[in-house]
Amino acid sequence: MDKYNLFEKVLLYSGILLFMTFILLPFVEMFYASLRPLDHLFRSPYQFFSDDLSFWAYGEMWNTVPMLGRYIFNSFYLASCVTIITILFVIPAAYSYARFNFPGKNSSLYLLLAINMFSGAVLLIPLYKLLRTLGLLNSYQAMIVPGVAFLIPTSIWLLKSYFEKIPIDLEEAAFVDGASRLQILRHIITPLSTPGLVVVSLYIFIGAYAQQFLFAITFNSKKEYMPIPAGLYEFIGYQTIKWNEMMAASLVGIAPVLIIFIFLQKYLVEGLTAGAVKN
Amino acid sequence: MNTRFKSFNSPTVLAYALIAPAAIYILAIVAWPLVETIRLSFTNSSLAGEDYIGLENYEKMLGSKKFNKIVIRTFIWMFLSVSLKLIVGLIGAVLLNAKLPGRGMFRVLIMPPWVVPIAIGMLGWLWLYNGYFGIIAGVGMKTGILDGPFGFLAYKQSAFISTIIADVWVGTPMVTIFFLAAMQGVPKDLYEAAYCDGASRWHRFFKITLPQITPVIITMALLSAIWTFNSFEIIWILTEGGPRGATTTLIIDTYKMALGNYKFGKGAARAVVVMILLTIFAAFYMAILLKINKKVSSG
Amino acid sequence: MILKNFSRVISLLFISLFSANAFAATDVHGVMCGGEIREADMTVINKYMADNPDVNITMEAVPWGTCQDKVINLAIAGDPVSFSYIGSRTLKGLAENGHIVPVNIPESMTSMYQPGILDTVTHLGQQWGFPHAFSTKALFMNCDILAEAGLACEGPQSWDELYSMAETIQNKTGIAGIGLAGKDFDNTMHQFLNYLYSNGGQVIDPATNEITLNSPNTVETLEFYAKLANVSQEGPLAWERSQLTELFNDKKIAMYINGPWGAGQHGDINQKTVRIPAGPNGSQGTLLITDSVAVFNGTGHEDIAMDIVASLTSGDAQYDLDTSWGLTPIMQYPQIGKVAPYNTDYWMMFIDAIADGGPEPLLVDYKAFQTVMNSMIQGAILGEGDAADLVAEAAEELEEYK
Repeated sequence: MDKYNLFEKVLLYSGILLFMTFILLPFVEMFYASLRPLDHLFRSPYQFFSDDLSFWAYGEMWNTVPMLGRYIFNSFYLASCVTIITILFVIPAAYSYARFNFPGKNSSLYLLLAINMFSGAVLLIPLYKLLRTLGLLNSYQAMIVPGVAFLIPTSIWLLKSYFEKIPIDLEEAAFVDGASRLQILRHIITPLSTPGLVVVSLYIFIGAYAQQFLFAITFNSKKEYMPIPAGLYEFIGYQTIKWNEMMAASLVGIAPVLIIFIFLQKYLVEGLTAGAVKN
Repeated sequence: MNTRFKSFNSPTVLAYALIAPAAIYILAIVAWPLVETIRLSFTNSSLAGEDYIGLENYEKMLGSKKFNKIVIRTFIWMFLSVSLKLIVGLIGAVLLNAKLPGRGMFRVLIMPPWVVPIAIGMLGWLWLYNGYFGIIAGVGMKTGILDGPFGFLAYKQSAFISTIIADVWVGTPMVTIFFLAAMQGVPKDLYEAAYCDGASRWHRFFKITLPQITPVIITMALLSAIWTFNSFEIIWILTEGGPRGATTTLIIDTYKMALGNYKFGKGAARAVVVMILLTIFAAFYMAILLKINKKVSSG
Repeated sequence: MILKNFSRVISLLFISLFSANAFAATDVHGVMCGGEIREADMTVINKYMADNPDVNITMEAVPWGTCQDKVINLAIAGDPVSFSYIGSRTLKGLAENGHIVPVNIPESMTSMYQPGILDTVTHLGQQWGFPHAFSTKALFMNCDILAEAGLACEGPQSWDELYSMAETIQNKTGIAGIGLAGKDFDNTMHQFLNYLYSNGGQVIDPATNEITLNSPNTVETLEFYAKLANVSQEGPLAWERSQLTELFNDKKIAMYINGPWGAGQHGDINQKTVRIPAGPNGSQGTLLITDSVAVFNGTGHEDIAMDIVASLTSGDAQYDLDTSWGLTPIMQYPQIGKVAPYNTDYWMMFIDAIADGGPEPLLVDYKAFQTVMNSMIQGAILGEGDAADLVAEAAEELEEYK
């Protein structure tokens, strides 16, 4: 049943090739931009190869933006912190929504979704004033605290559907044996829903990585705490933009995340399968 | 619903207690800015300070032809983008579901648009769309499709479509992965039974796969619609809403008002309108979702 | 986490209660745009701190893309910095809304500025910022392409000549004659203003605050600008000036308008720089753009800030900035004995134009102003209306933003 004849194979592979091209095309463009000299960045009509290509920008970028390594670390660190903190808040809440019925359950669920309908951009100035009052500006917390708040709602939704998949008999058995609910949560649910946890954690991590920029430039002035997207701004000069170095820095900056992804991709699809997003 | 724990000491208290940390956190951080935004929408807050002006922002907004055009444009843009994401995502899921060598690698390779910060991806698209220097124009000229440079972002209609394609690029990987997972969750015996009955691949796909993953499609459509509605960076970096407003959606207009022109009152009013529209949209969708869910689980 | 924050707020309250009069020292917070604070600036800062031990100055470098918005956001949120580098176009809006204070520029400085500089920072008869960075524009040409089209590498003396040169280049070599900016970006409006000021046009009269945009000069300029689309690179609406530089470097346009930093960006192009040609109703003009350093209101030490800024924007510090950034000299440096490097033919193109130049128009809502102007320009290029109508419409919209 799963055997493909030659025609089907060709069709499938060409489809995949087309799909991949669409997905990877911008990165190809960015990669080539990073290889070109600043005074002749672009050529028309498009040429894949020219004689002045070099990896010069990859070296020079560390000089132009000395703290680049720090920024890469910061991006990673911030996203990780957001992920860990969010998960801590989300696990109990998702469990509660998955197992219990209580007044206000459904409306609060939809209210959570409504939070996501506001993008952070719109709430920026009031958020700034709030963070200032709490004394959280210009620190790592400035970017972590709002990040967590915006990621909690959808994470609860996602994790809830994984918890719902876990057979309730296990919990009941433990309950009968005298375990308290919190013990059940810690020792049974959490280990069993590992694929789901991994998926949701990855989702949060990516989300945190993506939303860093806006919070970073508005709530933080200390260069030491800036993540990559904000750091990339330093390649913009008074009248010139060092595109080649900026692209090189972007690609280098996202490399760690992609590498982690490669290692975890097995869990991602597996986890989604095991949980199966059947809301 | 798995709620057979009624015997334990008032589960409701525990239920609330488990949710409390998350709820309090969100309330503390998001509640005040939200309320403040709603309050601002009733003022003419700007660089100059603020005065209470009641519903004036809303009246001006809803009465202006320009604004109504923006709303319509937003919905068209959103509809096209979400439809494309669903279709391309579905095709992608089918392609990656096929038992072919190398599919593990392909699944990883489609991740980058999702993982990479949107701003960076958009820079790539900005150059791709460049009429002189971009790969698209370059290939077009070499193959003779274009008989000269063509600036995709320089004209109203092409800019509209180009921004949609870039948005689809950002959203498709996630949709594909979720569809893929859903497909893999379909019980194999359904397929085997159909195969034994002599059903073709097309038949199996349309009669088994699609109905089985319909709840996921609906959910992704909703989530996708909400994200697309708020799709700011994509349009902003490519066109900043131009040329001449052709790609100005509600969120672009809101941003331009609030942070671009420092007209916080007007910007807040727009933000509130966005939220109301989305809520209505979501409620409508939830109703459909529940209906279909009932049908599928009973059918 | 919430508990932690709560106790934080309480402790902040306590600290502020007890430390109200703890120090007599003044904490000054200055912002400059760019990757890092320049050495010349630090020299001034350190000297000031040495001379005034009870003043503590912290300088912050904020990247270009976010610099201006950031200090304005801070002012709005009630947390202003002491002084900041900022575009002069923002001064009127900030002044009208009480976020900055009028500055007293010493006579020793005002007598040294190039003509017209102070106009860029003056509103209601007062100066609102210390001019700090200045630029004018000229026309860059690629002599090789001109030669290929059979043209002498000389600057056009009129708009008609500019157009026919561009047309000849296009017909004879297939290369676009001129680079035209049309993207919704600030330098599109600037490119247009270069032409407007070469045709006797004006946007707003600083003395009376009247919008003077709606004039035959403007209509004529707009028509010409749109006409240039016939001989320019394809799809002008997707291009802004810095991208035109890339086109110029790839030899895809023969001419375009840029500032004095242009020569350094062009690699090994055989280039020549000439004055922007005069329109039928004007003389060879240019656009005068300045950035200044503004002093913010509400810090309590505005006068100290003003002193510091005056030192940062005059004498050696200012000369160092002008030369290291490759800008048009903001002061007449021969007055203090510095002649180089501005005594070359190249620099003459940018300096001679100053006297005939016009300032970047000062409006309260400069972003809306920019949108209106760009919409007008784009409308003309797209052919979405008669030039006269577009100008009249724009002039009417500007009434709201002046």
